[in-house]
Amino acid sequence: MNNLVFGKYIPIDSIVHRLDPRAKIVALFVMIVAIFIPKSWWAYLFLAVCLLSIILLAKLKLGFIFKAFKPMMFMMVFLLIVNCLTLKTGYVLISIGTFAIYSDAVFNTLFIVVRLLLMIMLTTCLTATTKPLDLTLGIEYLLSPLKVFHFPAHEVAMMISIALRFIPTIIEETMRIMNSQKSRGVDFEEGKLKEKIQAILSLIVPLFSVAFERAYELADAMEARGYIPGADRTRYRNLEFTFKDGLLILLSFIVLALMILSRIYL
Amino acid sequence: MAIRFKKLSYIYDEGMPYAHTALDDIDLDITEGKITAIIGETGSGKSTMVEHINALLLPSKGELEVLDHTIVAGKKNKGLKLLRKEVGLVFQFSEYQLFEETILKDVAFGPKNFGDDDATAIKKAKEALKLVGINESMYETSPLDLSGGQKRRVAIAGILAINPSVLVLDEPTAGLDPKGSKEMIDLFISLNKDYGKTIIIVSHDNEMVYNYADETVLVAGGKIIYHGDTLKLFNDETLIKEHHLLEPQIVTFKNQLKKQGFKVSDDIRTLKDLAKAITKEIRK
Amino acid sequence: MGIISVKNLTYSYDDKTNAVDGVSFDINKGDYVTIIGHNGSGKSTLAKLIAGLLEAKSGEIYIDELKLNQENIYKIREKLGIVFQNPDNQFIGSTVKDDIAFGLENHRVESSKMQGIIEEYAKRAGLEKYLEKEPTALSGGQKQRVAIAGVLAMHPNIIIFDEATSMLDPKGKEDIKALINELHKDKDFTIVSITHDIEEVLHSDDCIVMNKGKIFDHDLPEKIFSEPEKLRKIDLDIPFDLKIVEEFKNYGLKLKSKTQKEMVEELWQYASKN
Repeated sequence: MNNLVFGKYIPIDSIVHRLDPRAKIVALFVMIVAIFIPKSWWAYLFLAVCLLSIILLAKLKLGFIFKAFKPMMFMMVFLLIVNCLTLKTGYVLISIGTFAIYSDAVFNTLFIVVRLLLMIMLTTCLTATTKPLDLTLGIEYLLSPLKVFHFPAHEVAMMISIALRFIPTIIEETMRIMNSQKSRGVDFEEGKLKEKIQAILSLIVPLFSVAFERAYELADAMEARGYIPGADRTRYRNLEFTFKDGLLILLSFIVLALMILSRIYL
Repeated sequence: MAIRFKKLSYIYDEGMPYAHTALDDIDLDITEGKITAIIGETGSGKSTMVEHINALLLPSKGELEVLDHTIVAGKKNKGLKLLRKEVGLVFQFSEYQLFEETILKDVAFGPKNFGDDDATAIKKAKEALKLVGINESMYETSPLDLSGGQKRRVAIAGILAINPSVLVLDEPTAGLDPKGSKEMIDLFISLNKDYGKTIIIVSHDNEMVYNYADETVLVAGGKIIYHGDTLKLFNDETLIKEHHLLEPQIVTFKNQLKKQGFKVSDDIRTLKDLAKAITKEIRK
Repeated sequence: MGIISVKNLTYSYDDKTNAVDGVSFDINKGDYVTIIGHNGSGKSTLAKLIAGLLEAKSGEIYIDELKLNQENIYKIREKLGIVFQNPDNQFIGSTVKDDIAFGLENHRVESSKMQGIIEEYAKRAGLEKYLEKEPTALSGGQKQRVAIAGVLAMHPNIIIFDEATSMLDPKGKEDIKALINELHKDKDFTIVSITHDIEEVLHSDDCIVMNKGKIFDHDLPEKIFSEPEKLRKIDLDIPFDLKIVEEFKNYGLKLKSKTQKEMVEELWQYASKN
């Protein structure tokens, strides 16, 4: 589980770490939109340079970002194969006997891959520089205008942060239950379909019962400490929106504008 | 020899920058037919040791012999499932392994996994439930409706139904009340004395270890510090201090008596025998 | 009326048997009270009823002369804190300081005052070095300290420990027991500890023994332990020091001393006389 990089927070101090989570979330969304606009390679080169500078400013290691790509590798190769087999437009790049790979197949895949990689880079930048707690706080603030429509912004944010906090505990629990079922002769890797279903049941049922037990106990603990869903609370952490946060959002919109222009003029 | 560790090491995340040696060149023989306790502080490596006995972890270096099986580091090891049939491992808070609709079905789950047909599995399950003292009237109830102590006994029955000759219990009394603990202890003593099973207990409860374990293994920093007679270990004041072991209450009292000048034999285990010996000495 | 006053309290989970069955008692302000009994004897249910986490079928509870009902519950929760058994299932914040802040936020403490309060009570619970840590990275005993700091920060008059040490390793157990004793010394709090640890009872001022939902006995600890046979009838035992006295009595030696040190000296005197 230590290899899991995607979504992991890196506890160092940098100018990017210190930015307001709300600004970072807004900028992330604007930039994701920006990624899907251009059709020119020059525009993507520009975006890549922008992102690399953010990574440098955030003092993140490039190796860390590349690790986040790893789980996507399989998907990309799969995509390339499917495209090569189905897309038969453009000019022929390579031909082996009767089988030919066309240019559009390769370039279309490359476009998708580049967009995906940029998106992963962006999200990793956000999650690596923002504490989960600040992230949920940011989401809560951003969702709070929806309270007018009775949207439970605070409760949603609380749910996300509790879920985040319980992930390591649940992983540990899963390992323990898996081990105890293995000791009872369960084989999680091999076996017939019927045996596989039983194996999964023997993991899922206990996991649910433990999760429910934990949920009840946590609910009691929260209630005993005076938590009332929906009630007004004061805050220990207050977000402070500063000039540089505004600047970040402004910059992200400039990038978006540039991308739109590139689509028109390049 | 039931279980033999030979120059065995285990390294978590080997080759990674955060690699961590949990077991460091261990040599250990656990005797067949005895109750052996494994003690040590949290993170000392005792759980890693136990997971090796059941082949849930495979050694990074060295060798492990469990009954007729030999597991060698770096080699493809076959027959791990067979090994798990002969060594039953009861995890801490084992009640969380229960998942079937009825107690009987849950206990029969293990034997079925090891290839028994339904009728044989049910037969074995009934025998195991009898062993742990679960009444026949309860066979068809859901395991989730039981009390904590009962759930744990059903979980142990689930392992016993596989009929292992070695039973490893990780913190068997944790979270139980005094009555539940007493029943649990009586159960594994009977499994040892009446059914000849080799029992290995991993525990923090030194009172229990002192009272019931024939031999004790003390683990610290991934190494075996002591392996031998339980009473001898707890009579060794320097070893106890050095490894911050909690002294059993009776040992503390015995040591005070000794310091006062009483002659106290090292092999006195119970308060009853101690009182008898001291009154005898006084009336001499 | 005591700071906690329970009158004829009954609760049932399934409407067939009463988990708590007509229980009445008073707890004095500033006392350290232990509640013992087997799992299923009703002691944890009792704790949940007092904390207002369950609603009684019948009977009344008064906390600091305030009747526990829907109207008063939030006022009462400001006076009463509870530390639960499983250290993993009671923290919410992703760092120690955020977790201590959780209760303060609920009770609408001003944001500007929180940092000071958090630091003060983290220190009291011995956590000043761990404020920035994630609770998941702490040991069991330290996690329980976080829970205690979170409770203390709300300035309660009463703290309930619901088997707070039972899932900890020996070191963690000693650690939390020592902290409880320390809190008791200040007499600022009334402490109610639900426990299986018979030795802990000796440190308390008052002891309630529960059995099958009813109060089996309620007395000073030394009185409770003066009748071992009565306790053993419900499978409970007496502390080790009292067992020493009992065993020697069986061999015809009546020890008058209370502590082990005195007992050893007393025995030595007998030996020297002969």
